[in-house]
Amino acid sequence: MTDTQAVTLNAVALYGLALLLAAAFAAQLLLHELPCPLCLLQRILFALLAIGPILNIRFGPRPSHYALSLLTAVLGASVSTRQVLLHILPGDAGYGSALLGYHYYTWALIGFIAAIVLLAAILLFDRQFDHRAAPGTSPGKFAQGAVWLVVGLTALNVLSTLLECGFAACADNPIVYELLKQAS
Amino acid sequence: MEFTALFLAIAIAMLAAWRGPRQVAIGLFALILVACVATFLHHATDRLTLSF
Repeated sequence: MTDTQAVTLNAVALYGLALLLAAAFAAQLLLHELPCPLCLLQRILFALLAIGPILNIRFGPRPSHYALSLLTAVLGASVSTRQVLLHILPGDAGYGSALLGYHYYTWALIGFIAAIVLLAAILLFDRQFDHRAAPGTSPGKFAQGAVWLVVGLTALNVLSTLLECGFAACADNPIVYELLKQAS
Repeated sequence: MEFTALFLAIAIAMLAAWRGPRQVAIGLFALILVACVATFLHHATDRLTLSF
């Protein structure tokens, strides 16, 4: 795999993360289910996963950039495992609605484990680290679009979380947007 | 409140990674990761009723 192909793959990964963040937003808005603190932390870690690919697109693929994403994915898997264990006992209905049979945190655990496996797999291709094909050239529109999409969705999450939690600690089982409640 | 701050910090780190110096982006990333671990430990106080 050349460095150019690796950059394209990183852009595809960013679109995947954007899709995931958008799906979480859609569930929040369409089902009127507000994310709990651990759910928010999992969203945060999915957004943090994007830093590695953005650095790869801008500066070229480096093992250290993949390491950032690996560290994030391991922490994300830990957080989602904790939430799965909180609801694992028989009779527990879980938190929120299930999507295709699994709750959001179970999908998050699958996503973080998939990220760890994919990151390990892409690290197998040493040729991407040999050199940058054309140093100084700006990334193409496909990669630029991926970066701005993820930045935009993260900015929307800033707004959504501010509305949900206000300026205090977030509720364990949120049912209303605290900031809107205070305003009305 | 801490979650809003974390999302905001990530958005800033993304912009630093895209437009700013590499070391600044990596430094911000490290700070955010530590803050995420601290937030996780703060919210992981419920006892898990499990036995293996």
